Amino acid sequence: MEVFIAQFMNGLSLGSIYVLLVTGFNLLLLVAMIIHFSYPQVVVFSMYISWVALRFTNNSIVVGVVAGIVSAIALNVVLAPLFQQVMRKRGHVDINATMVISLAIGMIITDILSHEFNSGFPIAFPENVRGDEELFGFGLIHISRGQVLSLLVGVVVVSAFFWLLYRTKYGRAFRAIAEDPDNARLVGIPIFQTGLLSYALTGLLGGLTAVLLSVLLGSASPGLGEAVAHKVLAVSIIAGLGNLVGGLVIGLALGILEAMVQGFITGTWSNAIAFVVLLVVILARPRGVFGMKL
Amino acid sequence: MGASNTAPDRPILAVDGLSVSYGHVQALRNASITIGSGEIVVLLGANGAGKTTLMESILGIHTPHSGSISFDGTDITRVPADRNVRSGISLVPEGRGIFSSMTVLDNLLLGAHHNLQESPARLDRVFHWFPVLRERQQQMAGTLSGGERRMLAIGRALMSRPRLILIDEPSIGLAPKIVNDIFAIIADLNAEGYAILLSEQNAYKALKTSNRGYVLETGRVVLEGASAELLDDPGIKAAYVGA
Ligand SMILES: Nc1ncnc2c1ncn2[C@@H]1O[C@H](COP(=O)(O)OP(=O)(O)OP(=O)(O)O)[C@@H](O)[C@H]1O
Ligand SMILES: [Mg+2]
Repeated sequence: MEVFIAQFMNGLSLGSIYVLLVTGFNLLLLVAMIIHFSYPQVVVFSMYISWVALRFTNNSIVVGVVAGIVSAIALNVVLAPLFQQVMRKRGHVDINATMVISLAIGMIITDILSHEFNSGFPIAFPENVRGDEELFGFGLIHISRGQVLSLLVGVVVVSAFFWLLYRTKYGRAFRAIAEDPDNARLVGIPIFQTGLLSYALTGLLGGLTAVLLSVLLGSASPGLGEAVAHKVLAVSIIAGLGNLVGGLVIGLALGILEAMVQGFITGTWSNAIAFVVLLVVILARPRGVFGMKL
Repeated sequence: MGASNTAPDRPILAVDGLSVSYGHVQALRNASITIGSGEIVVLLGANGAGKTTLMESILGIHTPHSGSISFDGTDITRVPADRNVRSGISLVPEGRGIFSSMTVLDNLLLGAHHNLQESPARLDRVFHWFPVLRERQQQMAGTLSGGERRMLAIGRALMSRPRLILIDEPSIGLAPKIVNDIFAIIADLNAEGYAILLSEQNAYKALKTSNRGYVLETGRVVLEGASAELLDDPGIKAAYVGA
């Protein structure tokens, strides 16, 4: 029972990271109409920027956090015109072309990380950032600062996101574009600016995720983004592409599943077992458990 | 609704020699129309004549390769749709035009994207025109009947504080009773000061309701005049009014 509770907590904190990433991915898919499956690589890039900022400021947490968030927003907004160019050239969005662009961005980022930072070795975050110190413990249950933080931030950020989506005019415009971009244009929604806003918002989500990942993992490596990207893509397809609520449920479920496998079966096979489960689910529900929203 | 034969002195909209293409398909050829500030003007034309293209071009959706459009004396030829909506043009799209997975209220508020602060007052006006929408505010728009959807689309177009409303085929797919209601509301809206451009294939009702009309054929304006005169035109009778 203690193992179960401990792993359940582990799973929730890992799952809330997946949820944040899937939410950003789905937002871009719905509003900017791009499949950005390298979005997690962008997030890991921000972890590196944050790491550099920490080194230059003698581990100032404030600077590290700000650097992570600002760089993620900036990177997303800077990359936006690349995707938008495809939109403009073809008159409408070509979702296949956006995948190629995303793939290229992911590869370039991975290459930069493995050549230009720390000679390609994994980076470690300083003691004061890492969240592995125990906040409270009970038998086998150890709850760390990082776990509590990522769960709390995850809940707050996802709630804030849904508030924005359903209670503000920008959220209303996001939903309109997601349902019917041509009609949204006829109604007078500024498509380009609203699309740009979705990139910035996705950047904000990504920056927060980068900070949480740094706290939770305490380290990063050039291949981290790619490994996470596979899972994020899998979660969003299994949930149903573009389905925000589905992404929330399946993201948490995957986190918990992985943690349970690690706790009760084997740590080294948790990825393979998780993907076998995902494979079975997608065979049973090809359009996703919650249905596509595209 | 007094019919006048001549074009208005002070047009709220003037389209001059507009040509628009989709790739190699030329949809508008040198088309010119004007709408006076107090007028209802109807665009007649068969399928594919270019009615939707003309309305969408006025709104700023398509980029014309020649010609010009001016709204209230200002050139808006290459101004994008969201800015035209902001400055007082709105469109009720053909057929669809509502977001079925959003609530009725959200659909209406989308129309007020640029002037949300005045949305309570405008909502009151819209509910005055369409009381049924007030009761259905929280319902998903996809569950509305065809007539209610058309009302919602018109209501949404009113939310943005327009001075000119473009209504693309308001009667299409609706029962005669509902068509009468919609045309009555269009006439009332015009009486309140909204300038209106309608497109229709079924001309009788539209010509009865409007001041002037234009006939489009394969992207060209082939005939124009006071609605009362068009109604008597034998060619129009045969082509658009039916027996
Ligand atoms: N997106 C498009 N791509 C290519 N051609 C188009 C496109 N939209 C319209 N057209 C063509 O432009 C011409 C005018 O079409 P438009 O929709 O403006 O006509 P319409 O008068 O509104 O017809 P309807 O009464 O059927 O709605 C037609 O020949 C049509 O095939
Ligand atoms: Mg049409």
